[in-house]
Amino acid sequence: MGLTPPAPAGPARSARGWPAHVPAVLAALALLLGLQLLGTVLVDLTHLPVPGAVVGLVVLLGVGARFPGFARRAEPAGEPLLKHLQLLFVPPGVGALTQLSTLVQQAAPLALAVVGSFAAGLVVAGLLLQRLLRRGPGA
Amino acid sequence: MNALVHAPGFGLALTLAAYLGAGELHRRLGRPALLAPVLVTMVVVAVVLEVLRIPYAEYLASVSVLTLLLGPATVALALPLLRSGRALLADRLAVLLTLVVTGAVSVTVTVGALVALGAPDDLVLTTLPRSVTTPVALTVGETIGANTTLAVVLTLVSGVLGATAGPWLLDRVRVRDPRARGFAIGVAAHGIGTSRALAKSDVAGGWSSAAMVLNALAMTVALPVVARAFS
Repeated sequence: MGLTPPAPAGPARSARGWPAHVPAVLAALALLLGLQLLGTVLVDLTHLPVPGAVVGLVVLLGVGARFPGFARRAEPAGEPLLKHLQLLFVPPGVGALTQLSTLVQQAAPLALAVVGSFAAGLVVAGLLLQRLLRRGPGA
Repeated sequence: MNALVHAPGFGLALTLAAYLGAGELHRRLGRPALLAPVLVTMVVVAVVLEVLRIPYAEYLASVSVLTLLLGPATVALALPLLRSGRALLADRLAVLLTLVVTGAVSVTVTVGALVALGAPDDLVLTTLPRSVTTPVALTVGETIGANTTLAVVLTLVSGVLGATAGPWLLDRVRVRDPRARGFAIGVAAHGIGTSRALAKSDVAGGWSSAAMVLNALAMTVALPVVARAFS
């Protein structure tokens, strides 16, 4: 003990599913991009009215439910992306600030629509699910 | 100076610096919902572009990598759903029914309010994607011909509303079950609301993430159908 250098941490395969020598973040990003592109191809073939990325989401959901290790391999890129999702909204948001005039012109109907549907959705979802869950096996 | 301001990386560096600064400010002030880092960043960047007279198109080219990452980020939304999968499957009927009813109420109120106040059809189209989390709202908005930049702001407004007024409103109507509270926040307030719910409890956060994703999936299918009436 003490004099031996620390052994390389863990087995050759890390907890994230990728072999230790593979840069896990890059590999996970490539995996997510691949799923998005696969989704795009599927949309193109089937003419579904959904974005390719959403089809990619469903594919990851389906395969990940069956093989948890597959979903784990997407985590090194997926987790930081989800954590900082809001950063990705900055460019369109800045664009919207340049359109403030439309926003101000239609302020009253927009405010009513957004605040109204937000409050109605929140209250309905909360009350309904609470009532249903209490009766269900989970409560 | 001109060479610096118009260098290809300037817009990206500005955005990242503003985002990191806004996050730090948010943390030090005790995380007030109104100073959500994304809002502060947007305002700072918009002001700098205005002052330095950088055209929006030039800025957009500089930050194209962020736009590009929206795709993989959308795919990654499957991850929180997989984590809470077992709890959701146990109550799948309750979850599905809540999702459908809430979606119908939310779209009806949005469209109803705009039509009642005589808003033009293109504004209705723009407001529709508000009901989904932003990365999906962007793609759905493009599909149905909405003004996507405005749609993003409306989604952000909902998120900030959810983070500030959401818990208060749920208290008023006595929703105490953390699963129901999380789910309601996720459906109504998307990412910003979910990040607040996650900070409060794992249960509420998990249900919130799941609600956000399920709602996005449902709306992706439903919105193009609704939109057909207004285009």
